[in-house]
Amino acid sequence: MSLRKEDFSFLRNLEKEIDLWLKEGILLPDQKERILARYKEVKAAEEKAGPGKLITTLSILGSVLVGIGVILFVASNWSALPNWGRLFIVFSSMIASYGFGFYVRYEARNYPKVGASLILLGSLIFGAGMFLIAQIYHITVHYPNGPLLWGLFVLPLAYLLRFRSLISLAILVLLIWLGMEAHLQALHSSTLRATTLIPLFFMAGIVLWGIGLVHRERDRLRIMSGPYILIGTLVTFVAGYVLTFSLYGERFESDAIFIFYPGIGVLFLLAVIARCLPGKKEKGWIPETFGLVVLMIIIIFLSLFFPKASPTNARGDLRLFLNILFALEIVGLVVLGFIRRYPVYVNIGLLFFALDVIARYFDFFWELLPRSLFFILGGLLLLLGGILLERKRRKILSAFDIEEADG
Amino acid sequence: MRWKFIFLVFLQVALLVGIIAYRQYWVATGERILLRTAPVDPRDIFRGDYVSLRYDISTLDLDGLGAKGSFKPNERVYVLLEKTQEGVFSAVSLSRGLPSGKRFIQGRVEYERTLSKWEVTLRDDSDNLHELKPQWFENMKRGDRVTFCLDERGNALQFYKEEAAYRPKCGGQSLTGTIEQIKETKSRVLNVEYGIENYFVEEGKGRAVESSRNARQLRVEVSLRKDGKGIITGLFVDGRLVR
Repeated sequence: MSLRKEDFSFLRNLEKEIDLWLKEGILLPDQKERILARYKEVKAAEEKAGPGKLITTLSILGSVLVGIGVILFVASNWSALPNWGRLFIVFSSMIASYGFGFYVRYEARNYPKVGASLILLGSLIFGAGMFLIAQIYHITVHYPNGPLLWGLFVLPLAYLLRFRSLISLAILVLLIWLGMEAHLQALHSSTLRATTLIPLFFMAGIVLWGIGLVHRERDRLRIMSGPYILIGTLVTFVAGYVLTFSLYGERFESDAIFIFYPGIGVLFLLAVIARCLPGKKEKGWIPETFGLVVLMIIIIFLSLFFPKASPTNARGDLRLFLNILFALEIVGLVVLGFIRRYPVYVNIGLLFFALDVIARYFDFFWELLPRSLFFILGGLLLLLGGILLERKRRKILSAFDIEEADG
Repeated sequence: MRWKFIFLVFLQVALLVGIIAYRQYWVATGERILLRTAPVDPRDIFRGDYVSLRYDISTLDLDGLGAKGSFKPNERVYVLLEKTQEGVFSAVSLSRGLPSGKRFIQGRVEYERTLSKWEVTLRDDSDNLHELKPQWFENMKRGDRVTFCLDERGNALQFYKEEAAYRPKCGGQSLTGTIEQIKETKSRVLNVEYGIENYFVEEGKGRAVESSRNARQLRVEVSLRKDGKGIITGLFVDGRLVR
């Protein structure tokens, strides 16, 4: 029988449950042995496999180190190596790590986790190779094309193999591309401000989040949803958090980044449509989708219409509005996490709740209180907040009855 | 699964090979020209493992080249080049459309600006007249008493008014007198980028290349495609090829 990851966690839960049944007298000890004997194979396989997360972590770290090593070797032997020598190293190491990784994971099946990491290494070397070629030919025109192509060419591989590591790599590289491309576009515009990029990344975060949700509802894509949702919510919340600060003397619009809006809009619309198609639905999907749509509209409004039109007094109101909005986002996320038993949402919600409290404390009370009282109160507030959050978090997670690391 | 995997990896390899082949074809078939580099603002000097390059043709005198109208950032332009006696190429004219037949390089406008040049006539205390060309000379008028700090060749490095609160210390000679005449000539200057502004070198080698760039002994060999796009194929320091 071929074993899946779910079998291991099933066995772990089963052992816990059986102990409970034994205590409650539902089972007799020899019945326990007989039931567990049915899963002998799974047990043996798990023992042989060892701590899976550790292996994955070690081999991913190993891949990253080897990747950096290859790049450094080529970089530091620049003049000693002819062009073809550098290219040979890149191509051979890329093909070797792809090939060997595929072999040990899917053909020989003896080192699946190491194999997965080697395939990740192949994708890293692919990206490095692109930059190396750019260096060899002194290509400087439009350098963001490098990460764009890297991300786009890793993406199909990620979907074929259903690797979270590859999909995370592709998403991160594409986000880097977005930042670089927007920066480059903005160089040609007179209205470049760092704040201009906040709405852009806000939108990108919402889009990733939406795409992640679409993946989550489809059984075949479900395993890929994690990185989309995690990175998407983090980017969205970091951008939302930045907007709670006093930066409304700045501009949010720039004609330089309008070029990204159609693409973002189309991706988002597709995600929303796909989410609304009939099929298996998660609890609370309607308010969640609706919330994302509202957020998107607000951010588009902010980045298109706010800066030119607003008088100074409107800016204070807007800041208040975005603070309230951020608080609502946090509450919404935690509630969704709770009803859906999804710890990622709860953890991210609570993290940004804590960050928001700290920031607002500094914003509003720094001026008002004498310094010593400020620190004492602040310290107490943090301690109390820490205790409350910790308790609440533990309560919520234990209500889910799953380990924190999962999800 | 296996064949799909091989196909996707093959696509990645094909992309890399494609980029190489495209660039290699360009290097092999393009027309080679030499360009003279210009010193770069020292703040934007060696970063990591590449050298920032500027060329004489990176800053174009619009009036001198007879170009009309104003240019927008990111606009595509073609600069017609002609070989000088030294063997390097310099700009002779500028156009927005593809020029026919002649040798030209394609670039994109960074920005257009107005550049002022000043010629100042100064009467010193023993009634001698001096011609000075300071880099800038704003908020000054005829009759002001001014001190110029000069370098060994007599070029104006900086200046201050007699009644100024802040007086920079002159390292070398100085010249004090009354302003007799100020002549300001304004010219329109266009900064253009050609995509050949970075040269990647081995770590640690950048400084040497940079000092020759700033001393203007550096020549860059560029291969030009038919549409005028350039790619760096070599770097010459004192006539010697650097790799």
